[in-house]
Amino acid sequence: MVYPRKVIMFSDLESDYINPIDLCNKLNQFVLPEYGAHAFLALLFLLWGQWTALLWNVPLLAYNANKVIKNNHMYDATEIFRTLSGHQKETYFKLAFYLLSFFYYLYRMIVALVAENP
Amino acid sequence: MASPAQQLPPGWAAEWDANNQRYLFIETATGHTQWEAPAPQGYVENAPSDTPPAAQHPAKRRQYAAGQTQAYYGGGESSLDPGYLAGTAAQQGGAQLFTPGLVGENQFATQQTQAGPGPGQAPYYAPAEPEYINAPAYGQQPVAPYGQPVDNLANQFGAMGIAGQKQFQLYTANLLTSPPDPRELQHPPPEIRLPPNSSVSPSPTANADPSYQRSTLNAIPTTSSLLAKAKVPLALVLTPYRSLKEGDESVPVITDTVIARCRRCRTYINPYVQFIDGGNRWRCCMCNMTNEVPQLFDWDQARNQPGDRWARDELNHSVVEYVAPTEYMVRPPQPAVYIFLIDVSNPAVQSGMVATATRTIKENLERIPDEDGRTKVAIVCFDVSLYFFSLPQGTTESSMLVVSDIDDVFLPKPNDLLVNLAEARESLEILLDKIGTMFQDNSIIGSALGPALQAGFKLMSPIGGKIVVLSSSLPSAGAGALKNREDPKALGTSKESGLLQAAVPFYKTFAIECSRAQVSVDMFLFSGAYQDVATLACLPHYTSGQTYYYPAFNAGRAEDAIKFAHEFGVVLAMPIMLEAVMRVRASRGLRMSSFHGNFFVRSTDLLAMPAVPQDQSYAIEIQIEENINTPFVVFQTAVLHTTCYGERRIRVVTQALPTTSNLSEVFASADQVAIATFFANKAVERSLTHKLEDSRDFIQKSLVDILLAYKTSMTSGGAGASAQLAISENLKMLPVLVLGLLKNVGIRQSAQIPPDIRAYSQALLTSLPSQLLIPYLYPNFYSLHNMPAEAGTIGEKGVILPPPLPLTSERLERHGLYLIEDGQTMFLWVGRDAVPQLVMDVFDLPNYESLRGGKITLRLLGNPFSERVTAIVQKIRESRRGPYYPHLYLVKEDGEPPLRLWALSALVQDRADVLPSYQQFISTLKEKVNGASGGGY
Repeated sequence: MVYPRKVIMFSDLESDYINPIDLCNKLNQFVLPEYGAHAFLALLFLLWGQWTALLWNVPLLAYNANKVIKNNHMYDATEIFRTLSGHQKETYFKLAFYLLSFFYYLYRMIVALVAENP
Repeated sequence: MASPAQQLPPGWAAEWDANNQRYLFIETATGHTQWEAPAPQGYVENAPSDTPPAAQHPAKRRQYAAGQTQAYYGGGESSLDPGYLAGTAAQQGGAQLFTPGLVGENQFATQQTQAGPGPGQAPYYAPAEPEYINAPAYGQQPVAPYGQPVDNLANQFGAMGIAGQKQFQLYTANLLTSPPDPRELQHPPPEIRLPPNSSVSPSPTANADPSYQRSTLNAIPTTSSLLAKAKVPLALVLTPYRSLKEGDESVPVITDTVIARCRRCRTYINPYVQFIDGGNRWRCCMCNMTNEVPQLFDWDQARNQPGDRWARDELNHSVVEYVAPTEYMVRPPQPAVYIFLIDVSNPAVQSGMVATATRTIKENLERIPDEDGRTKVAIVCFDVSLYFFSLPQGTTESSMLVVSDIDDVFLPKPNDLLVNLAEARESLEILLDKIGTMFQDNSIIGSALGPALQAGFKLMSPIGGKIVVLSSSLPSAGAGALKNREDPKALGTSKESGLLQAAVPFYKTFAIECSRAQVSVDMFLFSGAYQDVATLACLPHYTSGQTYYYPAFNAGRAEDAIKFAHEFGVVLAMPIMLEAVMRVRASRGLRMSSFHGNFFVRSTDLLAMPAVPQDQSYAIEIQIEENINTPFVVFQTAVLHTTCYGERRIRVVTQALPTTSNLSEVFASADQVAIATFFANKAVERSLTHKLEDSRDFIQKSLVDILLAYKTSMTSGGAGASAQLAISENLKMLPVLVLGLLKNVGIRQSAQIPPDIRAYSQALLTSLPSQLLIPYLYPNFYSLHNMPAEAGTIGEKGVILPPPLPLTSERLERHGLYLIEDGQTMFLWVGRDAVPQLVMDVFDLPNYESLRGGKITLRLLGNPFSERVTAIVQKIRESRRGPYYPHLYLVKEDGEPPLRLWALSALVQDRADVLPSYQQFISTLKEKVNGASGGGY
């Protein structure tokens, strides 16, 4: 997963183990793929009628879309120190969100498997 | 100290408080206590602002903080000479504008000042007026206890001299009754009162001069809660690379190979360290680490004999430069490299920009710093193609190489494009002569600025240096092309801040690349049409360059050409610092939390600056992370750089400030000029991340917070509503400076300001040093037709300026001649009833009707008045640091409205459109302060 790595990189930046330019170059590679994967997953939920899962994902989807529309989804090396605490918070939040989602999907998968083979 | 009990009004008692080392005053009837000495009932203090210094002290323009006290105390007698006493007595009897704190609410004084231009203004016209600009020592003691009877003053000074660390005394001023006095801005910041023996050197230069580094608070609160209570921002405003004007002390250079630094925190040795173990070790003043004194520290290497440690420059001067040994280099010192990117598209040629620029470069080739003969220069022209010039060695012939493929920029030739200045001087001169005619009939419109920048970058990226861009049009081709996004409908709305942000990411990412390759970019922009200054200014902003903007430049007007040629020439001749990094260290418990200015923040506290121009100011916010338990703290700025003649050096600026746990000292030590400078930076940042409106609200709220904090904690009124608006004497000008900031072109609420002008003004707000910024916020206003006889003549300190007036149009008389200047522009205002003789004397025209408004050049005419006016204009242009050469506009009272309104907008104390006058602003503040504290209204 990208997120634990991201958390580590932000704290690296704080303690000066990495410079902001490299950090932003590395992280920016993952921004759009991540948003894309998330949107794709949400689309699958929509097509398969997984309403609960879809509802759970819609807020984040909207948040990401808003960022892309406002064109501030990329990490900006010139502003990174000013916005670092915000980025860190966001990263922690997303990490928690994906972990919870993961367990929920796992649970639903097991439930579905059990239902198929009684 | 003479017991204050003797001077108390009846009903008061004084009690010595051992904890705070000062007297506590108790009103016996009510049991009310306060720190300030109560003034006798009905007794009115005389304010320093409203009274002309009656005695002429030896004029000292600026004294160093430590020296100032000595000078003042040493000259204790002189300040008590008969003239002074007489003056004081007279003032006490005469007009008073100032009510004493909040001790006695003196309605009489209130009425007097609100009655309009009261008698307090009379001194401006007094014929025997001493000169305020070079204000003598009298007014320079901003916290001096004026309220004390004069004979006690002497005792107190004597006692304080012995007692060592002095307490700041807090004097409360009521903003409602004391109008702003422009002369107060000339005062030095509150004195830095360090505990005795904190410095190993008695030298007055042991603490940094405010022009290098100043703090918003000259006494640092020991805890963050105390700082939060005071609401005054804590920040440093620094200009480490300040230019030296005539008479300034040069920075001592330490050529020894020994650089003594703390092993742990890497602090450079400075006057505030302690020597222990018989001088074999030193204790760091920031982290308390004990370090060995280097063996060669007591050895004079120049003369090869034992030297005197106490005479070493680094222990006696706060600003020093070390010659750095090889450990401080990642590569051998680079030569200075200049690449000129000249726009030769049709509008640029038509405006005469190309001709003026090439002529200026040619004339200034000699002044470009090149002491070691290594400086390299290249010239690249661009419209929608790039034109390189190859200058082969050994011949003065040059050939032009055209690259029209701008999508993938390449260099047409590996060498001879970037040439050594000294060797190719002749061919460069010939080439510069030719460029003007070469593109004379160029009809191509459009600009490939992005590709030109990339080409320049390719040329110099192995070395680094400075790219100087001269551009007259909106970039329209290749990478970094911009669209005209100027939208008159968006102005004045919340969408406006979008126009102040970068339109495309190219200029930011390119800036980062430049910063990495040690390339700095200076922008000279000339367009009359929209040019997207906001986006282009990103490049200088992150590469420590500077933006210069000449809207609608036309070399046909001599004034335009002179201004540009002068400023460009200064920039070219400027000895720049190359490959610089800056770091500010501070005592334990303090952390640099955010940075404002032109640089790239490379790590949490390291600022990368590829080429540092002179006189650029930076602001750094400071956080108090843990409680401070030392009597003083030290801030040290270190700039590691390569000089433009190939020497690696470290410039170190050290400043020590006392700490305090007393809220009143925090207020009494606040520096209004530094706070205003910091607010300007903060306002611009805020307008980019939020909205312009938010930024104005933020600044106003910050001011209200300070006033509120002062009211609740420092005045007897406490939290309730009060008829006064109190602030300490040393912050009296802060509201008017904030008002000036709110009315500045960069921040002002208006739907008429083109985004280019706004963006340029914002660039100025974040990079001007205080000396230039303060007039930019609060312009100077002089009356010329009735100036004192000595004004405009040469005095002890050069040309004497007339006394500045408060910025209100009430002062404009119909027959007058006035000068308004903000450091960037000057306005000569002529009243409609100006007598023909005056017009004749100054402008050589028969009468007022024949005058034409607009940019003018004053010619020296053979009469004394013309000589004096010209001398004043000249003095104003030269007196400040920085390359700026303000335009002089002639404004007729009934002339063209835009110009008239522009000039009038400089009078910030007036009401203009939706913007409040000073009186309105103050009463809004008062309402907010009273409203917020629950008093209601």
